Amino acid sequence: MFGLQASSAAASWVVGRMGTDAHLYDDPEDASIPALLDSRFDADRIDALKRLLALIAQGVDVAHLFPQVVKNVAAQSLEVKKLVYLYLLHYAEKRQNEALLSINIFQKDLSDINPLVRAWALRTMAGIRLHVVAPLVLVAVKKCARDPSAYVRKCAAYALCKLFDLLPEESTTLEEIVDVLFSDNSPGVVGAAAVAFKSVCPNCLALISKHFRRLCETLPDIEEWYQITLIEILLRYVIARHGLVKDSVMFASNLSLVAQGGVTVDTMSYTQPTSVGGISGTRPNIMLLRHYIEEHPGCFDREDDKFSSPSVTTSTNDDVAILLKCTSPLLWSQNSGVVLAAASVHWIMAPVEEVKRIVGPILFTLRSSPDAAYVVLGDILVFAKTAPLLFAPYDEDFFICSSDPYQTRALKLEILTTIASESSIPAIFEEFEDYIKDPNRRFVADTVAAIALCAQKLPSISSTCLEGLLSLVFYESSITNSVHLDGEDIVLVQAILSIKAIVKIDAASHEKVIIRLVRRLDKIKQPAARSLIIWIFGEYSSVGNLIPKIIPPVLKYLAWSFAAEVLETKLQILNASAKVIIHSAEEHLEEFKRIMAYITDLAACDLNYDVRDRARFISNLLPCGKTSLNENDSTCQSHSQDIRKELADHIFGGKIPTTSHSDSNYRIYLPGSLSQVVLHAAPGYAPLPKPQSMELIYHTIKLTRDTANSSESNNSNAESESSYESGSVYDSESEGGGLSDKDATGSSQYPNDDGHNLHHRQDNQEAPLVHMYDDNVDQGQTGRNVEDNLSSLISTDLTELMSKSALESWLDEAPALPAVQESMQKSIARVSFTNRSFERKPKLHTLLDPSNTSGLSVIYAFSAEISPISRLLVCIDLFVENNTTDQLTDIIIKSEEASISKDEMDQTSEGSASIPTLAPVEEIRSLAPQQTVKMILQVHFHHHLLPLKLSVLCNGKRHPAKLHPDIAYFVRPLPMDLNAFLCKENQLRGVFEYARR
Amino acid sequence: MLQCVFLLSDSGEVMVEKQMTAHRVDRAICGWFWEYVLAHAAGDPSKVVVSPTHYLFQVYRHGVTFLACTQVEMPPLMAIEFLSRVADVLTDYLGDLNEDIIKDNFVIVYQILDEMMDNGFPLTTEPNILKEMIAQPNIVSKMLNVVTGKSSAIGNKLPDATASFVHWRTTVVKDASNEAYVSIVEELDACVNREGVLVKCEACGDIVVNSSLPGVPELTLSFANPTIINDVRFHPCVRFRPWESSQILSFVPPDGQFKLMSYRVKKLKTTPIYVKPQLSSDLGNCRVNVMVGIRNDPGKPIDSITVQFQLPPLIASADLTANHGTVDILADQTCLWTIGHIPKDKAPSLSGNLRLEEGLAHLHVFPTFQVKFRIMGVALSGLQIDRLEVKNTPSAPYKGFRAQTQAGRYEVRS
Repeated sequence: MFGLQASSAAASWVVGRMGTDAHLYDDPEDASIPALLDSRFDADRIDALKRLLALIAQGVDVAHLFPQVVKNVAAQSLEVKKLVYLYLLHYAEKRQNEALLSINIFQKDLSDINPLVRAWALRTMAGIRLHVVAPLVLVAVKKCARDPSAYVRKCAAYALCKLFDLLPEESTTLEEIVDVLFSDNSPGVVGAAAVAFKSVCPNCLALISKHFRRLCETLPDIEEWYQITLIEILLRYVIARHGLVKDSVMFASNLSLVAQGGVTVDTMSYTQPTSVGGISGTRPNIMLLRHYIEEHPGCFDREDDKFSSPSVTTSTNDDVAILLKCTSPLLWSQNSGVVLAAASVHWIMAPVEEVKRIVGPILFTLRSSPDAAYVVLGDILVFAKTAPLLFAPYDEDFFICSSDPYQTRALKLEILTTIASESSIPAIFEEFEDYIKDPNRRFVADTVAAIALCAQKLPSISSTCLEGLLSLVFYESSITNSVHLDGEDIVLVQAILSIKAIVKIDAASHEKVIIRLVRRLDKIKQPAARSLIIWIFGEYSSVGNLIPKIIPPVLKYLAWSFAAEVLETKLQILNASAKVIIHSAEEHLEEFKRIMAYITDLAACDLNYDVRDRARFISNLLPCGKTSLNENDSTCQSHSQDIRKELADHIFGGKIPTTSHSDSNYRIYLPGSLSQVVLHAAPGYAPLPKPQSMELIYHTIKLTRDTANSSESNNSNAESESSYESGSVYDSESEGGGLSDKDATGSSQYPNDDGHNLHHRQDNQEAPLVHMYDDNVDQGQTGRNVEDNLSSLISTDLTELMSKSALESWLDEAPALPAVQESMQKSIARVSFTNRSFERKPKLHTLLDPSNTSGLSVIYAFSAEISPISRLLVCIDLFVENNTTDQLTDIIIKSEEASISKDEMDQTSEGSASIPTLAPVEEIRSLAPQQTVKMILQVHFHHHLLPLKLSVLCNGKRHPAKLHPDIAYFVRPLPMDLNAFLCKENQLRGVFEYARR
Repeated sequence: MLQCVFLLSDSGEVMVEKQMTAHRVDRAICGWFWEYVLAHAAGDPSKVVVSPTHYLFQVYRHGVTFLACTQVEMPPLMAIEFLSRVADVLTDYLGDLNEDIIKDNFVIVYQILDEMMDNGFPLTTEPNILKEMIAQPNIVSKMLNVVTGKSSAIGNKLPDATASFVHWRTTVVKDASNEAYVSIVEELDACVNREGVLVKCEACGDIVVNSSLPGVPELTLSFANPTIINDVRFHPCVRFRPWESSQILSFVPPDGQFKLMSYRVKKLKTTPIYVKPQLSSDLGNCRVNVMVGIRNDPGKPIDSITVQFQLPPLIASADLTANHGTVDILADQTCLWTIGHIPKDKAPSLSGNLRLEEGLAHLHVFPTFQVKFRIMGVALSGLQIDRLEVKNTPSAPYKGFRAQTQAGRYEVRS
């Protein structure tokens, strides 16, 4: 019967395996793979490729067959192709040269009529990551981004991410493709574009602004994975653009507003600043805010109030409202990642009274996706610490069930203690009582610790807690005495620790508890538990009325048992008796001193160094009877006694500094991030952008867009106008033109937007926000108005007198301009300044790459400052960084050609003007590891675009380098008064012509 | 961005290794992980583990550990949800999930992984589309493979759905039988504390739809009493607006069986059955007595009742008998009492004696009893489907409804 069953089971197993690839996995090398690969039949080749795959799966290196496999890439059969691709992707990086062989086939496949073939070719071509073919891939991606098949476009977006690793210098081109993909009308492609955005240009939030509304609206239609990514991007955009919401949790001072209807609010228990959790008033929220945005400490420095004024917005802001509206249905998503991402948007941006809508969905994910529970609970813990009342009504969701793993249990316990309030504590306590009987002893110990935390938070229940804990101590001690099992005593020790923590708050009123605990001493055998009780006894020996009465018998008992104790208990006995001596009243002092002397005598003969040491120390500090060596010099004696007393008081009577809960150094990261789970900043973690940091860029885009829209013929106008704006325009509208020439003509526009990509964090000087707009409407009366407005708006240094020489510095050798006549027509361009601050980020160029120079990295950026030596010199900021672990010494930067001498500086002689020259710079004596030094280089470029040849000497080695000039910085600002400006402006043909008509 | 996905067997062997990005992960990390599991977590590892070199995410299903590695910040839930999606898709494809099945079908596993993730980010995860791209192994294809020696699991055409707005539905559903079945599957979570008080009782339900409809049908499902629902979550096909405004589910279904919606009804008053455990111990003996009976008759038969508990540690021997059903003590010190139906004439009870280890007079830890049962034909939360409308189909389809409740996390502490 059984045999029959067994054979039928075996038969079904055989049938189950029949036709699968089982035999290939079991024995991949039982056939000659190279021979099969060269076979003419697809079936053989598939067989061989499957064997190779099996070997890869088992961790065998089969890279040596690369050439034979690669040639199969040309096969017609899709299955062969797919298997070859799998192999290629696995090994291409190891075998770069052979992988090149496949490129032609990919190129051919890219124009196949089957979109699947195109998509695969693109995925594989980008996936094999060969630097040599990266430009080819870029071309392919550009083409595929406009492919008729949405799937291919989606793959193009993925290929962008891969390309970015290979071609970081092409980031502008890649951004343009991201932009194209964002405008796609298939939700799948838009979602994939979000992924590409995240890896190509995560800080280029200005790109989002023109798509923002549409992205929000497509949010529900795109796939869940993309939703997670896109929600995060949109949140960052809104914060960078509009700032935080004023009435959100981030700024709420009193979170009692968050409380749900039926719950009686007991704000007192949360606003006690002394309570353990530190959950008080406004502090944690500002702290939360700091943790989320910490990257820019400048804006939070001294006063938090100051911060709240400039960079907040309200939830009625259109963009904020639409983001909240479009993310709220996502709280019903079946993917817990989406729920958490949507919830964190609401947590950060929604008004306080609406935050509670996230609670239900988040808690539901605990049940509906159990795998996610651990991560979600970690985030709930942060939410609950900030706004305990939000979760207070849901305590039963955090009740622990027997199937929860240990980590989940620990988190749930912590949340329960955080949200416990006067009204919910009875139910929570009943639960805790049940948990104490749980078979998992570590969890029981945690529960006991949680009880103490609750009691510290809600003093009204402390006596109930103590009763429970005492009976637990008695019960546990009886068990652990009879059975010795690993981890059994942690509960007992933790229970005593908890008692100690509760007693500490108000020792006098709990003295009976202390007495009962001490009386139990002879029943408790655990050394750790014993020492704890002895410590409690010593610490509170002078507290209350009853404890002093029990001191003599206890002390005698301790002296009697001293010899049998273990090390830590012996030390505690010594300490405790010293404390008793210090605090005891006169009448018993002699008796105690005798006991003390007995104990120190015993201890002085102990086997352990530490005990002997401690005994000697204490007997010197507190002379107990027999120390009277020489009575004659009594003054000296009394003096030293005073010092001893002082010392002893300090050592034994000193209050222990209240060990603040880990809250102070508790780091909080953005909800839903990996960093929040692992509690350290994972590589690549980026806090939220600084609120309203992209204000300027947004305005100017709007401006350029408006003007560009007005008519075709105005294009030149719009451009010139935008280039007036201190080079801050992000040129997002120029899809075709912006690509081609970024070196010469567009350079005034680029520094800023490239600076954004590099995400280089520097403090830049603040500049006023310039807002320029046309004022065609009331042309008639502008004349006077403009002058009034401007003279009142423009700061005084702009209206300083204009000198001829200053004018000449536009182009230094330019001949004096002919005198200008007063024009009848006035300008109608209007400039307004607001007090908005913004950062200008300079474009950074690399002078020396650390990989070539054994760790010395030099980056330069052109600065707009005027050289103190001569106006003809262009200032360049140089950032010298040491990337090695060693000290670098004697870094000298000098020109390959001779540098200019002082007297030559102002001359513009034709002879030496052909090559750029460098003003002498001081050397850097030494550079510590990871240190960055900024220095200023002053170069006379003589208005040529020739690079300056430099040699950098470091540690005695010479590194050649070339510094390429940026033509935009040859131009100098020219101060002039309004009238002069207006008449000069009239001479500029073609710029303002259209307005004059 | 996930750098690598590994599939580990129950013994820690690497069955499948799929590198996702250029930053290759050496499979030595699996060895580290396995040692970590054995050393620290006692088979209960956290879902996110920090190794010296990588952050690891893991999901465990039926003896297979799905392990993913990354070195950079990414939403951890994305990784965990992705791994569980991989597990679901593989289960769906291969019928079941275990070590042997993964090894036998490793080529399909590779192809699915490659399609589901590209460059460390999920690409195509919709099972319907995947099935068109990579054929599901079935008896016919296996036989064909055996007879002809040829097979092609790869679809040679791009599924149309990749381009469509309803990305979960294949555009051309062939041989549809024009039927739609809606079933409510509820799980009852309850917790009874040591005093016998019902601490928590709630029902978590799924609405599972099995649709086999031609064309692009429009379905509308409404409930008689939607207000009792506390929490919801939906399949991507459900439109949010109709639910927001009038609690109606409006959707274009994917083909085949899928979970349309999950919901939770909290604060239920009673449970259909009671379980009353009593443990009393003295002098090294512990008497166990468990009674089971019907508390609140749901009107339909309750079957497949089982009561399970972990024997406390420090037990020398156990002697347990029941007056109805069978009692088994499993290898991991679990006592399983299979009751089945509750007979009309007597109340089932389990009684017996646990002999404690030498020197232990009293039991100090008490087990938690997990109760399982099943009731066909009833949704205990009381949720009722009002009606299902199907539009946009050539002929009126056949519609079917059913309901079922089973025990979820039903726990009785003793």
